[in-house]
Amino acid sequence: MTRNDLDDIADSDRTAYSDGTADSDGTADSGSIAGYGATEGGAVGQRWPRVAAEAKVRGTFRYTADEPAGRCCFVGVHRSDRPHARILAVRTEAASQVPGVAAVVTGADLHAAFGDRLLSGPAFADQPALAVDRVRYAGEPVAAVLAWDLATARSAAAGIEVSYADLPAVHDVDAAVAGPPYVHETLRPSAVFRDLAHLSGRSGTNVNYEYNLRCGDVAAATAAAATTVSGEFWSPPTHHVPIELPCATAWPQDGRLELLSTTQTPSYVRQAIAQLLGLGLNQVQVRTRPLGGSFGSKMYDRLEPLVAALAWLLQRPVRMEATREEAFYLTTRHGVAVTGHMSADAGGRICAAAADVRYDTGAYADIGPRIAAKSGTVACGPYRMDNAWVRSRCVYTNKPSAGPFRGFGVPQLTWAHESLVDELALATGQDPVAFRRRNLLREGDVSAMGTKMHSADFVGCLDAVAAAVGWDRPLPRTAAPWQCGRGVGVAVKAVLTPTISNAVLQLNQDATATLLISTVEMGQGSDTIMAQIAAEVLCMQPDQVRVVAADTDVTPYDTITAASRSTYHTGNAVRLAAQRMRDRLLEMASARLGVPAVDCKLTSDAVLSGSTQRSVSLPDLIHGHFGALGTTLTTESNFTTDWVPYDGTTGRSPQITEFWFAGAVAAELAVHTRTGRVRISHLAVAADVGRAINPALVEQQLVGAAIMGVGQSLFDQLLFDEGRLLNGTMLDYQLPSVRDVPQRITPIIIENPHRSGPFGAKGVGETAIIPVAAAIGNAVRNAVGVRCRTLPLTPERLLAAMQADGPAA
Amino acid sequence: MSTTIEMSLNGTPERIVVGDGELLLDALRRRLGCTSVREGCGVGMCGACTVLVNGASTSSCLTLAVRADGAEITTAEGLPPDHPVVAAFVAAGALQCGYCIPGFVMMATELLAGDPSPDREAIARHIAGNICRCGTYPEILNAIAAAASATSGG
Repeated sequence: MTRNDLDDIADSDRTAYSDGTADSDGTADSGSIAGYGATEGGAVGQRWPRVAAEAKVRGTFRYTADEPAGRCCFVGVHRSDRPHARILAVRTEAASQVPGVAAVVTGADLHAAFGDRLLSGPAFADQPALAVDRVRYAGEPVAAVLAWDLATARSAAAGIEVSYADLPAVHDVDAAVAGPPYVHETLRPSAVFRDLAHLSGRSGTNVNYEYNLRCGDVAAATAAAATTVSGEFWSPPTHHVPIELPCATAWPQDGRLELLSTTQTPSYVRQAIAQLLGLGLNQVQVRTRPLGGSFGSKMYDRLEPLVAALAWLLQRPVRMEATREEAFYLTTRHGVAVTGHMSADAGGRICAAAADVRYDTGAYADIGPRIAAKSGTVACGPYRMDNAWVRSRCVYTNKPSAGPFRGFGVPQLTWAHESLVDELALATGQDPVAFRRRNLLREGDVSAMGTKMHSADFVGCLDAVAAAVGWDRPLPRTAAPWQCGRGVGVAVKAVLTPTISNAVLQLNQDATATLLISTVEMGQGSDTIMAQIAAEVLCMQPDQVRVVAADTDVTPYDTITAASRSTYHTGNAVRLAAQRMRDRLLEMASARLGVPAVDCKLTSDAVLSGSTQRSVSLPDLIHGHFGALGTTLTTESNFTTDWVPYDGTTGRSPQITEFWFAGAVAAELAVHTRTGRVRISHLAVAADVGRAINPALVEQQLVGAAIMGVGQSLFDQLLFDEGRLLNGTMLDYQLPSVRDVPQRITPIIIENPHRSGPFGAKGVGETAIIPVAAAIGNAVRNAVGVRCRTLPLTPERLLAAMQADGPAA
Repeated sequence: MSTTIEMSLNGTPERIVVGDGELLLDALRRRLGCTSVREGCGVGMCGACTVLVNGASTSSCLTLAVRADGAEITTAEGLPPDHPVVAAFVAAGALQCGYCIPGFVMMATELLAGDPSPDREAIARHIAGNICRCGTYPEILNAIAAAASATSGG
């Protein structure tokens, strides 16, 4: 049952997501539900304020770069200006002689020290910390200068001279599929994913991974269909641009390496650096602080391999602070081409769909092969269909590497399938909402890729956003040359599976708790959410549970903070550790009070016997147990999910994922028919989150992701010319400002509890961004009758399309 | 070459030696320990380094430290926890990762000093040069409007 109720708007604490100028029609701006009412522990479902809010508002909060580092060598990096070339010589003499320079290191130096261990990456071990012999993109690090101050390091690095012999380069993803030239001579899968091992040593290709889905007979079903639509879609490469710049410091000491870094993946980095340096896992320490935003940019191998290799080689503390221009080269979001078609039978049911997907992963694979596979499984959308065909390929080109970005490749595919399904609805003469509604997957349905749907209320999300924008009401009247339209998009994404989380909980003798997890707070609110989950079980108050920042010497293994997986996975580990703590306290109190454990009830600071009404305070109980002040009681838990790997031939699996993200967006907008400008009057954003642990933070994730999605719909893009990045500064790269926020945004929380989520919760960080571009593109189509298949929908592009097709009457 | 400059930083007199080409951003961060002043872009486009110089919002990443000689500098950490703008941002939940927020706080402080009761359009216009990549703009607008109500008694 959907618990959403748009009429329930009484809560005055809620944020008004409106500019105050939109006409009020009585619909809630914040359409979220009242939830399940008070819980036993009093924490879950509450709008607890963010941890450390005041310190972050006043700027006294310490991020990674604010931590004391002591005297370090700063790194300046010399980067390639060629997209593809053989390195003939690196002349470092001039840089070495600059006063204040401690050392100059080339890729050849690092390769001599570390061999092929220098090549790293989560899916393919293909990326050197400094280029060895060959550069594969313009911007690739070639040499590093270490100096006692940053300015000297950077200016000396600029003075390095490199001789190159240019090689033929490939910039276009489809030219790269056809190849040659080849970006890599052979494929080098990493040891992380065993199912990639068969690709090792393959040569003569730029396609580093191909996922195929084969369900039914698409050709026959398409031939028999009443209506078929098709199209070529393109989403450009974009960038994350978190405002905090990447920063990493490494200290070699006593045969160990200590690393403080802006990373979402401390456990991964520890493993990668231990492997690079040939050290034991307990000889590498990775610490993080909460991040100033990331969105996928600060994970896997970024600054860490270079900083660690330099520090280890020179046995000196080394610090690297990326400039904004350098950060643009560290990773990007994949540009994606999709060639698709979709068919319906005479009864208006979708009978077949196909998607041929090409991910441009740039010069290094990073996690691209996983993106191609995981996203490929949902490339035909969240619809019932008996026949589906997907080929999803990850392709090298001579461009900066592309990696994870909020949505993990799914927004680019959603742009295609949600545009196609809209066209199919129109071609069959049906309302786009009604058409989707008839075809959307329901609870218990098995999707084309073989896995059953649970806690994924696509219909509820779609109905909620359609109602919020008044889908069935006439369009607002606008004066020429503005023309109004509405559109919707629906999202489906699988959570990363399998993954592992651990939690260690310490209950301090004074009845405060310290939670040790390796989840990284980066704005998603995990420090608040995890405290709420522990507090729910232990009946605690805000501020009674403190979450420790990830430190691999202290906090236990956690796969990654990404993929919207933490609330579910780490949250479950926290819940289980807290339940063990509760059980332990009840046992201790049972002995102390001389009553059975089942008679004991935990409150925020005591255990009470129901039968005797006697109680013992938690400080007394723990003091009595250990006989000392300041002691700690510790419990721990692991939570691990499992999957069934997809079949090598059909790409299908009965258990591809632990849970599904389901969401929908509706857009109401106006297009200026003489300039091509788009003005969004209302964006309604719904996600089935299972259960909202903190509705205020869930709404912020929905709204924040939607605003990021507006940028990617209308202007966000990296521009390249022959492999050279043209707009890699914030003067040139446009991001959404307050001026780009829709006049009104309605976040809507849909709650269909997941059977094994912590209190029913899933995740929410990515869901809302996935269908935004498609909803906006469909609204543009509705407004002016043109279908744009290439993002972003810039005024120039829309104007050209309107002039080519003519505006709709 | 270096120069000795004097400034009032959040009401405290400071005397520091700065390089002739040193940015105010670096002087505040590295010499005076101001963690609220942050480089996000280095080209004056994101607003994360915003401070008030004699009450006027200034991109400290584009300002030489020597230009601050004799100036009164206010940074976000100079505002007391019960300052109406700080209190309003906390109450409105106007932050996600929090990294850009002190820049918005300085812009709001400047705006309300000159116009105690700005309308939403005036607020939006004033913060249009600051980037919040988490997309916290609706909460930030609400916070500044609430701070205006609190300070103007409206």
